[in-house]
Amino acid sequence: MKCRRCRGPAVIDIRRHNAAFCRDCFLRHCREQVKRAIKDHEMIVPGDRVLVAVSGGKDSLALWDLLAELEIEADGLYLGLGIGDYSDESGRHARDFAVARGRRLIEVDLREEYGFDVPVAAAATRRAPCGACGLSKRHLFNDVALREGYDAIATGHNLDDEAAVLLGNVLRWETGYLGRQAPVLPNAPGFVRKIKPLVRLGEREMAAYCVLTGIDYQVDECPMAQGNRHLGLKEVLDALEERSAGAKAAFLFGFYDRGREHFLEEAAAERGDLRPCPECGSPTTSELCAFCTLRDRATGENVPVHLRRAPVGD
Amino acid sequence: MLLRNPRREIEIAGPITVVKLLQQLQINPETVLLIQGDTLVTRDALLSDGDDIEIRPVTSGG
Ligand code: SF4
Ligand SMILES: [Zn+2]
Ligand SMILES: [Zn+2]
Repeated sequence: MKCRRCRGPAVIDIRRHNAAFCRDCFLRHCREQVKRAIKDHEMIVPGDRVLVAVSGGKDSLALWDLLAELEIEADGLYLGLGIGDYSDESGRHARDFAVARGRRLIEVDLREEYGFDVPVAAAATRRAPCGACGLSKRHLFNDVALREGYDAIATGHNLDDEAAVLLGNVLRWETGYLGRQAPVLPNAPGFVRKIKPLVRLGEREMAAYCVLTGIDYQVDECPMAQGNRHLGLKEVLDALEERSAGAKAAFLFGFYDRGREHFLEEAAAERGDLRPCPECGSPTTSELCAFCTLRDRATGENVPVHLRRAPVGD
Repeated sequence: MLLRNPRREIEIAGPITVVKLLQQLQINPETVLLIQGDTLVTRDALLSDGDDIEIRPVTSGG
């Protein structure tokens, strides 16, 4: 195959664009897609301080790199989740990347700072670890961004991640989650803006970006992801994509353009009246926020925990 | 043909295209990258017997 742009030998084909690219033209394609996502959804305005949620995996490291390529200044935040070797290795990938490129990486360790980790929380709540993990991540990203004065939190969710979450929400008609699934969640009192600049790029493109730029990312999966509902949804979507190139993008972007608007009311209604959590100050509809409740439960304070079912795979 | 990560040898005679190889291994090309030696290659690339190949999964669960 030949590069669509320069006719040189191609290194990657992207069927949904009916195109193949050489290394340089592919990297340019990635930058253009991120730039377009940021512009179309008004993710970042000049002068914004951006915090990237860095896991050490391909998506977050590629995102951090791409933002720098686009001259958007961004620091990183790594959360130590305490998931054995996986967390040790992920942390190393995140740190090595930050050191090599001279970037600021903020680190928060769940166990050191809150007295529990993901496996402990999972055992204490007798739920799948991804629920406690996702809840902790959402809380801490927001918390650190607020404390350190960032304007936006950028996460590495790509087209495949978002399409899988969408399929999961549609299969269960989670109307509230559907109303809240967007490439940008604007800031609100107590909440920093959340942005997903990779929504126009697929998982395969992100892995290729890392291989081609020499980003050494954590290839092995989180051991807790086994049997994760998210993976099953991706398999289904990939099977559709293989039969009909562009199916995933049409599904996701069609939802953003024409579907989501129908669920906004539900999402607003579900939000309820927010007041600050007495322990940490985060906005919550209950007595104690979900994170503080989880922490109390996981550290042995005897409080019953009621985790709301998390959106798929977040 | 020699596959890396995990390292294993498979009984598939080259030359064979990436698409055909993945078909024989029942792998959806949408879910992997194919690295021949140290370069990324497209679906139509021709792989030969002596090649060192990595089929890298790209799907993550978190
Ligand atoms: S797979 Fe689950 S437990 Fe592992 S990092 Fe992702 S959300 Fe957390
Ligand atoms: Zn080119
Ligand atoms: Zn709280």
